[in-house]
Amino acid sequence: MRIFCVEGTLVATARIRGLELHRLLVVRDRKGSKQVAVDPVGCKPGDWVIACGSSAAREAAGHKDYPSDLTIVGIIDFWDEDGPEKERAEEPEPVAASADREGRR
Amino acid sequence: MNIHRVVRDLVATSRTPTLQSKSLRVVEDDSGDLEVALDPVGARPGDFVITISTSAARHAAGDFSITTDLTIGGIIDHWNEERWRD
Repeated sequence: MRIFCVEGTLVATARIRGLELHRLLVVRDRKGSKQVAVDPVGCKPGDWVIACGSSAAREAAGHKDYPSDLTIVGIIDFWDEDGPEKERAEEPEPVAASADREGRR
Repeated sequence: MNIHRVVRDLVATSRTPTLQSKSLRVVEDDSGDLEVALDPVGARPGDFVITISTSAARHAAGDFSITTDLTIGGIIDHWNEERWRD
């Protein structure tokens, strides 16, 4: 799955019957190139999302015949664009473990 | 299959039901590009892992109804940065 930032909704009134059901979004990857993704989740512009390709894109859009090669499957809760490089030093631990440690303090 | 290194965990509360509640990890390849992989193994940040892509990723996830195109298949016991970038 790849990471994208949502730019906005894409309106394409005349579309093939197979592409009905979901709205289309313009998404931008971390290097800046734009693609169009199917959005069954409900994203807002500015959201950082994960999107999958391959047969998973078709299935995630509702059924295996849906003609999508890029479908959004989730919205990332926290994503700082400069984050991954910086955060590498202080790695997050599984939620249960860190909550336990908070409790002991 | 490809070799990736786990960068960190990824939290995505709002997700499609087809992704179930599976763990996700941000992984990087040898040129530093980031991707997101489903993790049925329990890899930790810094681990070198084998990843399986395309529709085989869905079989690797243990359930074909899970919609992933990248799944971690195993943690590599002995691997290092030099060998990886080479």
